[in-house]
Amino acid sequence: MPVAEKRTAARAPRWRPDTRPTARPARPAGAGGRRASRLWPYALVAPAVGGMLYLLVYPLARAVLISLQDFRLRQLISGDAEFVGLRNYRTLLSDPRFWEVVQRTFLFMALNVFLIMVIATLVALMVERLRRIGRTVVLCSLVLAWAMPVVAATTVFQWLFHSEFGIVNQTLTSLGLTSFDRYPWFANGTASFVILVTLIVWQSVPFAAITLYSALTTVPLELYESARLDGAGAGRIFRSVTFPVLRPIFLLVLSLEVIWTFKAFVQIWVMTRGGPGDATTILPVYAVQTALSSQRYDLGSAASMITVVLMSGVLVLYFRQMFRQEDESR
Amino acid sequence: MKYRLLAGGSVLVLAAALSACSSPSDSAGGDGRTTVDVWLMRDSVSDAFQKEFTADFEKRHPTIDVKVQIQEWDGIGQKVTAALAGNDAPDVIEVGNTQVAQFAQSGGLLDLTDRTDELNGEDWLSGLAEPGAYEGRQYGIPYYAANRVVVYRTDLFEQAGVDAAAIRTREQWTDATAQLDKGGTQGIYLPGQMWYTLAGFIWDEGGDLAAESGGTWSGALDTPEALRGMAFYKELQALGKGPKDSDEDDPPQAEVMAQGQAAQIISTPGGANVVVEKNPGLKGKLAFFPIPGKTADTPGAVFTGGSDLVVPAAAGHPEEAVTFIKELTGDTWQKKLAVAMSYVPNRTSLASAVAGDPGAAAMAAGAANGRATPNTPGWAAVEAENPIKDYMTAVLTGGDPEKEAAQASQDITRAMNADS
Repeated sequence: MPVAEKRTAARAPRWRPDTRPTARPARPAGAGGRRASRLWPYALVAPAVGGMLYLLVYPLARAVLISLQDFRLRQLISGDAEFVGLRNYRTLLSDPRFWEVVQRTFLFMALNVFLIMVIATLVALMVERLRRIGRTVVLCSLVLAWAMPVVAATTVFQWLFHSEFGIVNQTLTSLGLTSFDRYPWFANGTASFVILVTLIVWQSVPFAAITLYSALTTVPLELYESARLDGAGAGRIFRSVTFPVLRPIFLLVLSLEVIWTFKAFVQIWVMTRGGPGDATTILPVYAVQTALSSQRYDLGSAASMITVVLMSGVLVLYFRQMFRQEDESR
Repeated sequence: MKYRLLAGGSVLVLAAALSACSSPSDSAGGDGRTTVDVWLMRDSVSDAFQKEFTADFEKRHPTIDVKVQIQEWDGIGQKVTAALAGNDAPDVIEVGNTQVAQFAQSGGLLDLTDRTDELNGEDWLSGLAEPGAYEGRQYGIPYYAANRVVVYRTDLFEQAGVDAAAIRTREQWTDATAQLDKGGTQGIYLPGQMWYTLAGFIWDEGGDLAAESGGTWSGALDTPEALRGMAFYKELQALGKGPKDSDEDDPPQAEVMAQGQAAQIISTPGGANVVVEKNPGLKGKLAFFPIPGKTADTPGAVFTGGSDLVVPAAAGHPEEAVTFIKELTGDTWQKKLAVAMSYVPNRTSLASAVAGDPGAAAMAAGAANGRATPNTPGWAAVEAENPIKDYMTAVLTGGDPEKEAAQASQDITRAMNADS
């Protein structure tokens, strides 16, 4: 999945369903060309739809199929596999290691999303208060950090924390903390986890901050003014004015970040491959490990399916909450 | 109708491009020549050897073209898996001897049992022939073997007053290494995750990486023998500046030695060629001795590494593939390969080919005590995940050996039995 996909959804969607019946313009109908002209649009979008079906729906359907089969290296090569019903799901759900991974995935997601939202909000508020030059500098740095390719950024982080040549160890040692001389960060589970969280937060903050900042500029200034006249402090203004006005945007950014951190795979795979031990193994990493290292494509597919279900579950919760609030506010 | 012309023209161009794409794959062209696609591994052959062999092969088999692709070891398991499952598999693939069992079992390889006679199967090295067989059928053809020895700097040994020939036991080895580990010199450059070397130390103590009982394999790093092996690794590792959290490929240890500070590395003798290639100033200053054992009369146990050649069941030109294997594993080229790359030839009767080579002599002394990783298809999963590396780093950085070993053994057990 390209990361860029979600980044294009920068505008606030309207969640209110459009209940007006759509007015259909009366069409002057030429007798013979009618059918052909009606089919034309479908013919024109057919290649795009076909391509999408082949690239998105087919792999998904295939993964569902494999998750219901006994599918290992032998079946991958010979091409025929037996159906075993829900056996793979039973195997997974009864494996305590799998549940540890699920727990870790949620911890990873919650930590990331929380940090991203807090830091991005603070950055957005700061940018709004900056003068032109400062604002340009901050926005440019945000865009640059955001434009950095994922693998490149991950590699840079890997080098920052390299035990032998890393600048972090060098700095800490030169500050007198000699215990960090050649300290192997990636040998320590907690340290690796924290480094990955830092990396992902660093990569995600720009998008969230810019989106929130652009939304902030739409808040009418009069609201702030009258709130201030009523004697509200900064915290109160944020709680009573800014946040309520921007709630749809906050929820949108939040759900996008949930999706993004839930499926953060590239960073982890490049940096630690889920190690040391299982310390940084979250669901997508677990699925790939199971499928490719142990040649259990069936269990790997089942794990991916469960990931999709869990992720949709989280999102459904958010959307329900959001719709409810929207209804209340009407 | 300018546009129609344009459209017609582009269709023609497209068609031409498509047919151009498809022509290399149907390699039996009009001139009756067939292309045999070969995947060899990094450091399996040198450029010069590859050119010489290809030229000679094509001269002797005028109807066959050889196309060799050199693959990297990192991530090779997945690449081979994908190739075996696809329709466009290469005709010959080199597979490491610890990985060949799972492919032999997979059903994706051509059964070469009937060809073993013409391929001189009677005196193959067992460390290569056994993993290539599954249920009595031979799928992997032994290609070459190698085991690790100590590569050392003669000049640094001389300066420190150490006589390499006198190093026969572990104690003598660590004493000498400690003596060398002074000033800017590293006694030995031993990265923390060189698990084949650890395996040797564990075998010396009488332990193993995994043990089978009643048909089930389980990790055995937590036995007292295995723990003693790890303790010795830690003692030796401390006599140099090897990073505790990486293996010999990161950074490549030959390049580290080429920088001139390391007095010893543990490597296949071929590694010495790479050192000299990177730093010609060290030419003539490198020599070898077998990894010392616990007592003077037996050298240390070593992992016998090496490769097999396999033919995918989906290969387009199996007959030409066998011809290629027959040449590359035949007397002439095995002898040349052994000398050029400092490898052990694939057959015991060819061992004399490298008798004059000092690296090979050290290797042969060690090979007498050569061992293999557990011969079961499940082992490849252990290597793919490699909990042993995490275990080594954990112990070297101050973790409790018993606790870490228990955890690692548990991970090995899980990985080995993931397929059942």
